[in-house]
Amino acid sequence: MELIKELFYNSGKPLGELYTWAHGIWAGWGAPPFLLDLIFQIIIGVAVALVVVLNALWIIYYDRKLSALMQIRKGPNRVGPLGLLQTIADTVKLMIKEDINPKAIDVLSFWVAPLIIFVPTFAVFLVLPFGKGLIPADLNIGILYVIAITGLTVIGILAAGWGSNNKYSLIGGLRSAAQIVSYEIPMMLVILSVVLLSGSMKMSDIVAAQANYKWFVIPQIIGFIVFLIVGNAEINRAPFDLPEAESELVAGFNTEYSAMKFAFFYLAEYTNLFLTSAIGATLFLGGWEGPFLPPIVWFFIKTYFVVTILMWIRWTFPRIRVDHLMEFSWKYMLPIALLNLVITAIVIKLV
Amino acid sequence: MKAKKVVKDQKTNKKEKTENMTIKAPFELEKLSNDEYILNMGPQHPSTHGVLRIILKLDGEVVKDLYADVGYIHSSVEKMCENKKYEMIMPYTDRLDYLSAVNYNWAYALAVEKLMGITIPERAEYIRVMLAELNRIMSHLLWYSAYGMDVGALTPIMYAFREREEVIDMIEGMTGGRLTHNAFRFGGFKNDLQKGFMDSLKKFIGHFNDKIDEYEALLINNVILTARTKGVGILSKETAMSYGVTGPSLRGSDCAIDLRKTAPYSIYDKFDFKVCTGKNGDTWDRLKVRMDEMRESTKILKQAMEGIPAGDIMAKVPKIIKPAPGEVYTKVESARGEFGVYIISDGTDKPYRIKFRSPSFSNLSVLKEIAIGSKIADVVAIMGSLDLVIPEIDR
Amino acid sequence: MNFTEILDKLKAGHEVLESKEDLGVLNAWVAPKKIRDVIGFLKDDMHFNQLSFVTAVDLPITNNIEVVYRLFSYETKDNVVIKVKLDRVKPEIETITGIFATANWHERETAEMFGMKFINHPDPNKLLLPDGIEAPLRKDFTCADMVPLPKA
Repeated sequence: MELIKELFYNSGKPLGELYTWAHGIWAGWGAPPFLLDLIFQIIIGVAVALVVVLNALWIIYYDRKLSALMQIRKGPNRVGPLGLLQTIADTVKLMIKEDINPKAIDVLSFWVAPLIIFVPTFAVFLVLPFGKGLIPADLNIGILYVIAITGLTVIGILAAGWGSNNKYSLIGGLRSAAQIVSYEIPMMLVILSVVLLSGSMKMSDIVAAQANYKWFVIPQIIGFIVFLIVGNAEINRAPFDLPEAESELVAGFNTEYSAMKFAFFYLAEYTNLFLTSAIGATLFLGGWEGPFLPPIVWFFIKTYFVVTILMWIRWTFPRIRVDHLMEFSWKYMLPIALLNLVITAIVIKLV
Repeated sequence: MKAKKVVKDQKTNKKEKTENMTIKAPFELEKLSNDEYILNMGPQHPSTHGVLRIILKLDGEVVKDLYADVGYIHSSVEKMCENKKYEMIMPYTDRLDYLSAVNYNWAYALAVEKLMGITIPERAEYIRVMLAELNRIMSHLLWYSAYGMDVGALTPIMYAFREREEVIDMIEGMTGGRLTHNAFRFGGFKNDLQKGFMDSLKKFIGHFNDKIDEYEALLINNVILTARTKGVGILSKETAMSYGVTGPSLRGSDCAIDLRKTAPYSIYDKFDFKVCTGKNGDTWDRLKVRMDEMRESTKILKQAMEGIPAGDIMAKVPKIIKPAPGEVYTKVESARGEFGVYIISDGTDKPYRIKFRSPSFSNLSVLKEIAIGSKIADVVAIMGSLDLVIPEIDR
Repeated sequence: MNFTEILDKLKAGHEVLESKEDLGVLNAWVAPKKIRDVIGFLKDDMHFNQLSFVTAVDLPITNNIEVVYRLFSYETKDNVVIKVKLDRVKPEIETITGIFATANWHERETAEMFGMKFINHPDPNKLLLPDGIEAPLRKDFTCADMVPLPKA
């Protein structure tokens, strides 16, 4: 009970102090300290994994319910109260399904691809500031770490496209590579503008720089809009879902995948959606800051606000074409992001 | 060990199968350059709307050449019909194009009525027109939904199906069927209008135009869609004519040709409506024509509703249908274009030869002309704009 | 234009073997070798700008296959039917794909359905049928599956 209070309400105390306190007790028992570190890391790892999985379950349900609302449907409403257990039923289904491996696959890349896609999304959770001090690893290059790690996803998609030995998959993989590489640049420029404002790449510092409701969304409104668009493109969701464009490429890079391997792609997609929104909330909407409610609740409220915007876009627009996608990035997003960065720099210098 | 054995079994099975299949190879693989490759779109593909196979020769994403392979669901309807009595053929016609079945029934009924010289009571004509126009709306709504899916918009289908449901309910009340209606009879119509039909029609006409505006706002005028479809898949007037393209696909190319106006059948000359055309013949024009056509259909429905006379719904028709020897070709403007029925009668109760001229057949054949040079995504968008229904191509 | 006018114009430059009016529509029989000329003339000079369909009729009694070309003019709203009688044993006729592009598919279908050959056709592949089925629309074609089911 103490711990939960610590985590959720006592926002003045960072996780580090908890760690020191535990170390004191540990040393009193005379146990070697590296064991405690190991235990701590395992606990954090398990906690993150739990958050990832539970959150994905919820976000998939949320997406389906929200899309149902927009499409004048009811959405899942049979399994469990209000259909809440639908995603669990789906997951169980995917787990017990036969894992089909086509004959002509490249075994290594086919098997490794889902992991390459999933692991980075998992790893990014380590630097998400859920609350004050409630950050698994507050790296001082936090946001750089995010960019670096999420960039790995493209390798997984390419591997999936190549390893499936299917032309649809290959086209999907190549599209995705082109897409992620081109949208990475405006993304970085936008994030750089925020870093200029906050003066630090540390996630906790970025949140701290927005204290007292000086959220970066106001000076960086253009940046925020660009971030939303570019972030949506980075995670391959409609209208930028070209790598898995259903009506063109059947299912794109995951055409040949089934069962748990497919589930990994699915999980990664929705976790990525959450991540992008969480980073957006942290960079532009003041992170966990907010009145009355505990910080972690505010963090989730803001994240889900961004998630809702992204879903709204997804369920409204038709798919963009591949050459328009490239044009959009290089001709519009990149110049706007660059201009935004320059203006931000000049304004900071002047003020 | 076990897994390996299964794989081996699959291998042997596959080998047996391929020996019995013949594979058409329209592009010689040796002649492909290093950058080119072949992609089979279909026969199982989400956007071929049925069992249609498009073989694409691609260079990256750009389509260098394409070949449409049809016939996967050929059932030789014409041969079957030659062995059926005239009145037994009617249900076959609405299985050809299950989306605008009424117009297909109509063309066939017209053909037999013309052969036998039957005149139809006016009330029956009005009912036929109303049913056909409702059916056109129903078909266009389904096209709109499917087109949304083709271009990756998943929401329009739900909106269009909301109104389509209303239309289907009305048609169901009239004919008893929701998809393949089969309600036409030689000399008139199966039954008179149902109670309450006029009220629901009035209600539908009252709000449908607003809904069309909504559809246009949601999909047709969307900036991404206009960017994808304007200037893409341009079908020139001459090409369209030469390929025998008909219906909205032809009208998109600035040809004011609508059989309801150019060669009026039934009582269409009594109604005041506009033939909707596009200007450039690109994909977007074909979309817009269909949207406008729904508005015109609503107009016709309104006039029919106001003008419908009282009276009989069936003419006097002999019990046994035995047309005099001769031949006849009747055509109607179905939701996809000119659907024609060509019957050669030899004086018996079975047609000597019957030929269905289906619009999608010609409309698909033009795909090669307009899709080469575009992207994979464009092929889907163009194919969707032609509004193909595969059973009537394969027949 | 009515039936006689079209016939007169057609007769002026081309040999019409036989003609008939059927429900107000001109049916004209021409020689197989002249088919390209006739269709070309109808398209270019008489404004028959739509080829509605190409099909054939099997006539085992006279040992003929009759190819039917139906044209329609969007300008004058006239119909005309051109028919060609071919030998049933070796039915061959020149393609008209160069005149109407739509003839490509219609001729392919007709060819496979009646076991015919269209000479100089750009794509002689079968359109609808799989290999191994020959001429199903000929009257003497019977299929083992066409036997009615036994009564239960």
